[in-house]
Amino acid sequence: MSIVATGISKRFGDFVALDNVSLEVPTGSLTALLGPSGSGKSTLLRVIAGLEAPDTGEIVISGEDATELAPQKRGVGFVFQHYAAFKHMTVRNNVAFGLTIRKRPKAEIRERVDQLLELVQLQQFGHRYPAQLSGGQRQRMALARALAVEPEVLLLDEPFGALDARVRAELREWLRRLHEEVHVTTVFVTHDQEEAMEVADQIAVMNHGVIEQVGGPRELYEDPQSEFVMSFVGPTTRVGETWVRPHDLEILLAPAGDAAEAMIERVVHLGFEVRVELVRADREKVWAQLTRDQCEELELADGQIVYVRAIQERVFA
Amino acid sequence: MTRFLRRFGLRGIAFTYLGVILLGPLALVFYRTFENGVGDAWDALSTPETVNAFKLTLIITAIAVPLNTIFGIACALAIVRRRFPGKGLVNAFVDLPLALSPVVVGLALFLLYGRDGWFGWLGDHGIQILFSLPAMVIATIFVSLPFVAREVVPTLREIGDEQEQAARTLGASSWQTFWRITLPAIRWAVIYGVILTTARCLGEYGAVAVVSGRLQGETETATLRVEERYESFDLAGAYAISIVLALVAVLVLVAMTVIRPKEEAVQ
Repeated sequence: MSIVATGISKRFGDFVALDNVSLEVPTGSLTALLGPSGSGKSTLLRVIAGLEAPDTGEIVISGEDATELAPQKRGVGFVFQHYAAFKHMTVRNNVAFGLTIRKRPKAEIRERVDQLLELVQLQQFGHRYPAQLSGGQRQRMALARALAVEPEVLLLDEPFGALDARVRAELREWLRRLHEEVHVTTVFVTHDQEEAMEVADQIAVMNHGVIEQVGGPRELYEDPQSEFVMSFVGPTTRVGETWVRPHDLEILLAPAGDAAEAMIERVVHLGFEVRVELVRADREKVWAQLTRDQCEELELADGQIVYVRAIQERVFA
Repeated sequence: MTRFLRRFGLRGIAFTYLGVILLGPLALVFYRTFENGVGDAWDALSTPETVNAFKLTLIITAIAVPLNTIFGIACALAIVRRRFPGKGLVNAFVDLPLALSPVVVGLALFLLYGRDGWFGWLGDHGIQILFSLPAMVIATIFVSLPFVAREVVPTLREIGDEQEQAARTLGASSWQTFWRITLPAIRWAVIYGVILTTARCLGEYGAVAVVSGRLQGETETATLRVEERYESFDLAGAYAISIVLALVAVLVLVAMTVIRPKEEAVQ
């Protein structure tokens, strides 16, 4: 049930969507393809599903070469950003679609659909039409529909992208729990680094059609291999030629060693986190992330002159 | 005054124009038909030649509409869902029958199937095309070809192909995807196109007039019969047949108005 993509390239006219990409998704893992729009993450997912044919390279699903297989023969479940609900069918019939196509006995279909509707908490909505559901409910229906045929791998293309922030947070947590229950190998595409870090156990960061780095959330955050990964995964501030995480910027009240003089432009209180915006003597703007307690201890105020230095910094070639 | 013009000006123009050009003449035909009572009109309609003309029109329509429905859907799918060289050309050619005068179509068929035409040899094998049903059907298919495709193309574009892709990943073949997903999604556009096609088939005159040979009681359709009656100074007969055709047109209009709101509600 693992997925192995090797040397995948795909062009659309002059645009190179994927440039010799290789990726391994271990059995049972929850992998995120993370990147800005146009980075090729959705194209890679669609190539795995068979909805897009790669120009070169091969896809192996569960040890079997799937490169030439039609999407309906790959045993994948696919969830679209805009739900792709079958508008003329009830929720029940949407979920049952894959089983109806496979001509399973009626009683078996009924039982399985009941289970799935319960799993996605839509028991009482079976007889509604997709137009009568909220966005979050529609996406849960789409998930149930994809899971109905017991796919070997589940592929989700920006599944929460069209939903508002609160519903998105709810569904993320729910997807994580679902994965723990069902254990189906899952790949999902997102441009939201927080979403990727919260849900996935493996993240592939993509940019301009190539994978920049693959790793666990912590590894990517603490040991980014490129400027792009550092700036895309987690907040950064730039001090001269080096990149610093804002919480690795120390604020001192008195000059010390290599600390640079800076003036506080603004102190922004965000609850537990306090963001301090500074201008250094060389007019460069930086910002530091403090906890509320640290900020109170230093008694920072707008216009104050302080000294900043990086505890940990990175230079990328 | 200007405010009055702004509020009622456009409406007034539209209503006056429709009244003078469309409704007036139609009302007059109604009046003339029933001037001497319903009996006369019925007598004119029940002559064997007229009954035969209606039958012929129905047969032609019954052949042309299903063929153009299938072709129209296939053509729309090709235009919207496929990439192939010459696609722009196909898209443009579908509209050709709308731009071309039906008389020209008739003439082209005449040249094609006539004694010296490309398919003239069919006649030597006893297959009669011109002056018989096949030519009339071909002419009617030609002039009524664009309507289903033209209705279905924008709907297909609007629904996009995500539902179809979802069906494919759930295990449906192309054929199953078409029947279970695509066709239900475009059904109102298809029905609307079929209604328009039917109306066009029933009313076709020009192309059929050229290729039919107008043999009374044999290759004379309802519209041809109207003209024949008119030229034989049987105005009552001409009016009576016209009224039937006009009523069918009104029915078509009503059917379309009933369907339109539903279609919008679905989307």
